[in-house]
Amino acid sequence: MRKTMLGLTGLTLALTAVPAWVSAADPVAATPDEVVTKVHEAVQYLKDKGLAGFSDFNNNKDSRWVWKDSYVFVYSCRDNVMIAHPLRPDMVGKPILQMKDDKDHFLFKDMCKAGDNTDGGWVEYWWPKPGEAKSSRKISYVHSAEVSFKPDIQVGSGIYDDKMSVEDLNKLATQAKQPKKDAP
Amino acid sequence: MSEQQPPLGNPAVIGLAGFGLTTLVLQFHNVGWMTSIGPVVWLGLFFGGLAQLIAGLQEQKTGNNFGYCAFTSYGAFWISLCFMLLGNKFDIFKAGTEDVGWFLVAWTLFTVILWIGSLRIHGAMAFTFTTLLIGFILLDLAHFGYPGLTVVAGYELMVCAFAAWYMLAGIILNGLYGRVILPMYKPWVS
Repeated sequence: MRKTMLGLTGLTLALTAVPAWVSAADPVAATPDEVVTKVHEAVQYLKDKGLAGFSDFNNNKDSRWVWKDSYVFVYSCRDNVMIAHPLRPDMVGKPILQMKDDKDHFLFKDMCKAGDNTDGGWVEYWWPKPGEAKSSRKISYVHSAEVSFKPDIQVGSGIYDDKMSVEDLNKLATQAKQPKKDAP
Repeated sequence: MSEQQPPLGNPAVIGLAGFGLTTLVLQFHNVGWMTSIGPVVWLGLFFGGLAQLIAGLQEQKTGNNFGYCAFTSYGAFWISLCFMLLGNKFDIFKAGTEDVGWFLVAWTLFTVILWIGSLRIHGAMAFTFTTLLIGFILLDLAHFGYPGLTVVAGYELMVCAFAAWYMLAGIILNGLYGRVILPMYKPWVS
């Protein structure tokens, strides 16, 4: 009887702990503000560092380009290639424009279009969270980067969210500060 | 009577070869055919850089100020451009996109002087320097807010590289065949 009681108490504790663990997972989700800031930071970094900056984004899970459940990736629409991806080295150097998500969307065609805007833009698609196999709704902010002798570079990073609309996020991106110049 | 000196080679053949080839390979990268900048760095250091610079220094003995200045300077241009790319890689005196832009603006202004000179040499030289100057201007703009122009500059500078090779081929072939196979055409300004 005592054993059963202990077992029930343990089960109750375990069950109550689950929602606590789920809600504790929220702080590890990247926010739209963080994503915009990181993308702008990456754009400025590539502008300063040039072609030599690409390697900083590759295969480096502990770098500043990976945080919470998000990361920054770099690609070229004109060259149709993934240039850098910190978590998916298998994608680096591969074509991107033919790639489809689980809902049959050409996600990078949308990203290339959005990234062409002066203030960048948000794009919705389905993509697995880091470490997961199943796709989740992902909304990524993409922005073009000026790199010497390498036109048409774009930088992207996203959030996993079921509610936020692309329109609201685009307003946020427009309000966000643009990368500053080094000198007046 | 003094003994006749054996004829000297024309240093311009190496200068033009290095200038044209390295310019061409950079454009393969600029238009997106060649993904890596690697071949540009190594060629820029040795053929467009060192070889063209030496050819330029040899021009001094021929009394040709134009070739002396152009080959030596553009040889140094390639060496400094390549070291600038290497510097960024190793975090030594990093140059951002706009910094490279200013570097190119200075070279554009320098090219204007040689372009004016080229107009009086012959048509082939005037054409080569006109395309070079336009290419530099396009690259300047590409570094100050119009990155897409890098591709336009790429195709335009391929024309410049081939024009340089035309002169190179002219010097070698016209000499070997003992007649004018590739004419250099009249100067644009007489």
